[in-house]
Amino acid sequence: MKKIIAMLLVLVMSVTGLVGCGSSKGNEAGSTSAGSDSDWAYIQDKGKLTVGITLFAPMNYYNEKNKLVGFDTEMAEAVTKKLGIDVEFTEINWDSKEVELSSKNIDCIWNGMCITEERKQNMSISDPYLYNTQAMVMKKSREKEIMKSVKGLTVTAEQGSTGEGKIDGSIADDDTVKVSAQDYFKDANYVASDSMAKALMEVKSGTADVALVDSVCALGMVGEGTDYSDLVINMDNNFGQQEYGIAFRKGSDVTEKVNEAIKELYEDGTVDTIAKKYGLQEMLIK
Amino acid sequence: MMATSPMESLSSGFIINIELFFITLLLALPLGLVITFCSMSKFKPLKWLSRTFVWIIRGTPLMLQLFVVLYAPGLLFSMPMNSRFTAAVIAFVINYAAYFSEIYRGGIESVSKGQYEAGQVLGMTKTQIFFKIILLQVIKRIIPPLSNEVITLTKDTSLARIIGLAEIIMCAERFTKQGLIWPLFSTAVFFLVFNGILTILFGWIEKKMDYFRV
Repeated sequence: MKKIIAMLLVLVMSVTGLVGCGSSKGNEAGSTSAGSDSDWAYIQDKGKLTVGITLFAPMNYYNEKNKLVGFDTEMAEAVTKKLGIDVEFTEINWDSKEVELSSKNIDCIWNGMCITEERKQNMSISDPYLYNTQAMVMKKSREKEIMKSVKGLTVTAEQGSTGEGKIDGSIADDDTVKVSAQDYFKDANYVASDSMAKALMEVKSGTADVALVDSVCALGMVGEGTDYSDLVINMDNNFGQQEYGIAFRKGSDVTEKVNEAIKELYEDGTVDTIAKKYGLQEMLIK
Repeated sequence: MMATSPMESLSSGFIINIELFFITLLLALPLGLVITFCSMSKFKPLKWLSRTFVWIIRGTPLMLQLFVVLYAPGLLFSMPMNSRFTAAVIAFVINYAAYFSEIYRGGIESVSKGQYEAGQVLGMTKTQIFFKIILLQVIKRIIPPLSNEVITLTKDTSLARIIGLAEIIMCAERFTKQGLIWPLFSTAVFFLVFNGILTILFGWIEKKMDYFRV
């Protein structure tokens, strides 16, 4: 019996030892490959920038001709054209975007991503290019009641999203905030959803009373011709403004290249044209 | 917003589920047998290596294994996996081969010693005994647990969406993002029909095997 226990222990230790080696190796590889001037060289060598996206309007989606369009799609196409490389869009699982990036399965996350302190620490983020706010989504029939007070009601947001951070206070309120979401929802119960779409489904099915989601996303999901025509977007409370940015590997020199290219595209009016096409000109950061 | 209609999109997504399903079966069924032979080997180190492998694969979530196969090459060796489908196939084949190997082992060990002894008395070699006496009895016994696992596989193929493979549920969730809920729930029909066919097929195989008793 003792022998067996000893053997098991040895086994467990050797396995954890292996895993331990693996992860430290991973860190090393990560830091060397993301070293000062290698990332741009790596991408130039490859000849293309692999952009990680999830499909949602108006940033990246397929139009009636089955062509990938959207504000972020066209921006990425314009920027890579300026940099003289090809662009390739890869659909990813949003929850693993950071791993996708450091494992080099993608070269950047360009998909309406809010800039947060945490993300700035873990990735190299471009200059902000678009504003976003948080919108409350609820049933039309209950709008009056809910807007009066959310006490005792259930609020939901996407796990790890800005909305969730605002509600639990992990994303600090800055000077763009008129109403603190943490105070506003302090008497409400919070449940997390695994995506913004699921957050709306919670509201639709009645398992939550109100959802706090990105306004850009909400506008693409709610309205005529959708199953959410009985839901309504309310942006009366200004829970603050966020900015969208493009994320690259930590320490990457591609960020600067893309920043410069976007600046040029602003100057020649390309950005304005693309923004107008998708009704986002009000949200542009100039 | 979406170019293709929900039905078209779901169908094209389900083709990926089916491809993943058949390729996994095709590779995992024989690989499982190899693992079984290793697990039952008289050579102790090989036996323990094989059993440890099965323990790790059965003891960790398939979801995690998918992550490891897709991300580890890029993270550890800076050589990113170039195909998400290949990554999914590798993870599924390894995972299912481990489960199949245990089903095979159970089947082989359930055949009574007398059957081997009878073969020896007749002067057959070990290989002859296995293929001419044991194998068919094993197949008959493992069909029910195997069909269970195969039906689970059809549904597990949907897990591949967490590494960004656009299978049926991921396709359906695109519509959810545009405010259309029904495509997500109608994916059930695809699985039900496919598993219905599989159930009939396995019922037929069991019947075919009915000509002898074990």
